Amino acid sequence: MRLPRLFRTTPFRLTLLFLALFAAAASAFLAYIYVATAGEATRRTDQEITREMRSLAAAYDRAGMDALNQSLIERAASERPFLYLLMKPDGARISGSIAESPLDKFDGTPTWTSFSVTDADVQGRAIKHPARGLQERMGGGEILFVGADIGEDEAYVVKIVRALWGAGALIIVLGLLGGVLVSRNVSRSMAGLTDVVTAVRNGDLGARAHVRGARDEFDELAEGLNEMLDRLERSMAGHRHAGDAIAHDLRSPLTRLRARLEVAYLDVEAGKGNAEEALAQALDDTDGVLKTFGAVLAIARLQAAGQAPNPTNIDPAVLGADIAELYEPLCEDKGIDFKAELIPDLTIRGNQEFLAQALANILDNAVKYTPSGGAIMLRVRRRSSGEVEFSVTDTGPGVPEEDRERVVQRFVRLENSRNEPGAGLGLSLVGAVAEAHGGRLELAEGPGKVGEIGPGLRVALILPRAL
Amino acid sequence: MRILIVEDDLEAAEAMVRGLSDGGHACTQAADGEEGLNAARGGEFDVMIVDRMMPKMDGVTLIETIRREGDQTPVLFLSALGEINDRVAGLKAGGDDYLVKPYAFAELIARVEALSRRRETGSVQTLLRVGELEMDLIGRSVHRQGKEIDLQPREFQLLEFMMRHAGQSVTRTMLLEKVWEYHFDPQTNVIDVHISRLRSKIDKGFDRPMLQTVRGAGYRLDA
Repeated sequence: MRLPRLFRTTPFRLTLLFLALFAAAASAFLAYIYVATAGEATRRTDQEITREMRSLAAAYDRAGMDALNQSLIERAASERPFLYLLMKPDGARISGSIAESPLDKFDGTPTWTSFSVTDADVQGRAIKHPARGLQERMGGGEILFVGADIGEDEAYVVKIVRALWGAGALIIVLGLLGGVLVSRNVSRSMAGLTDVVTAVRNGDLGARAHVRGARDEFDELAEGLNEMLDRLERSMAGHRHAGDAIAHDLRSPLTRLRARLEVAYLDVEAGKGNAEEALAQALDDTDGVLKTFGAVLAIARLQAAGQAPNPTNIDPAVLGADIAELYEPLCEDKGIDFKAELIPDLTIRGNQEFLAQALANILDNAVKYTPSGGAIMLRVRRRSSGEVEFSVTDTGPGVPEEDRERVVQRFVRLENSRNEPGAGLGLSLVGAVAEAHGGRLELAEGPGKVGEIGPGLRVALILPRAL
Repeated sequence: MRILIVEDDLEAAEAMVRGLSDGGHACTQAADGEEGLNAARGGEFDVMIVDRMMPKMDGVTLIETIRREGDQTPVLFLSALGEINDRVAGLKAGGDDYLVKPYAFAELIARVEALSRRRETGSVQTLLRVGELEMDLIGRSVHRQGKEIDLQPREFQLLEFMMRHAGQSVTRTMLLEKVWEYHFDPQTNVIDVHISRLRSKIDKGFDRPMLQTVRGAGYRLDA
């Protein structure tokens, strides 16, 4: 059987738990007070009765029945008298302030009993008082009963008990109130989070939990939830963008490829044209599409992951030297003066493969756009901020300032480079690699005009220094 | 060569069989992991080409299984998964090489042939010889017709790789992967330039060029 919803809620359970704990604590506390007060009063009375009994028994032992009798008479006149009853060994009354022993049976051993005495109040009405008494057999066989009216004590105890009940009730009410308040608080905090989850489930990825600023667990949870949603939203946006970009970047070369094949097909069908050449071109086109696809995929994955996979500690000078070694012959072949200036003993943390590819992409671009007779410089250095900077400066035409921002964005190509396959993706991938490493990509003007061409381009990949 | 092709994409498998058979290789086809495992257990192969993602048993499990059973046949993984992690996982499982789909056919053949050669060179060699070309791996020196050829360290590595695969086509991607250990394709012809430098050192001044360009594939060092 399922409990009604109210009883299944965490607030309800919390309230119940709170109340149970409160009640347990209160009971223990009140029990202690009871024992310490009411219990103490009874104990004191019993002690007094015992002391009186001892003193009378001592008088009896010292001087016999007469002395005892005398003592009893004397004591009866005292302010708060004990109740006495002196009896013969067979139980017949000799003297005393009560008519008969409250004990029905007496086997001779000292026996305690609780009973009641009847008194008359000022108006002459009979009032029953609770009393306690001790009955003992004297040395000579006579039986002595000593009792005490504990009416006052009892009234005191009753007051205490009443006070305790009151306190108990108050505690329960307070506990209940506290429980309700705590649960309401929890409930309200949870409701905010639940609302966000529901909203997100219903497709509103922009919903965010309210952080109240209390810096408690709920705020932590809300902040965590918000951060998670931020990431998710970014990643979703990345994927969406990747989808658009893939469509954009692949549609045009695929269209070209299709057109080429169609034309070739028609030509071959008509008995003119060269099928072999068309096929070779189609293959080239396909390779171009695949290259673009690979780059788009790599960028999308990097952006979706948000961080570089398998990071290791890397010496940027070694990385730079390796790449320089790969590109140096190409530059020489093209009549470009290539130099590398690599500051040693720096450390960055990142993915070797992606960083190498990023540098390769920057150099690919530099080589592509720098004319023969120009120069390319690869540099690794530490910025004053402690960041590590890889920079490639070339003496090509450069990128106009208004276009630089756009070039770094994904999949953007400048008009004049539209026909170079994959050209737009090179720097986009570098940008994605920089971002994934917590760094950034900066484009600036190169060294200025060299002859007709200039002002050149300076591409800097700036990465945080490893701790 | 006897080649086992374990690939669930039948069309791709057919194309591979046709191409490899044209090259004089005997191909056996298996359409899923379990079939592949049975074929691998049953026959002696020189190379296995194994797709990573297949029904019934994936390629990684298949290769882990046969490696556990002591089968050391060289394995070329084919996969649509090209991430570094995927590559590492494939090689860890016992694969010898990893080719990401889609691939150029020349690339596949070059890699399969490179793998088959690998098995023959069991002992550690100190001297490589291809025709007139001699490479001393201890002294780090190269001679052609007794004339010493001065090479940069990277050129030496490049030539060593070419000599170990003499007579076979090696692709630019293979060179970039095996000599430079980079797994990306540069947009520029960096490898060609390195090769032409190497070529000018080992072929210039001799009557016959050894380092050949193979159209549509890459390069080949001929004796």
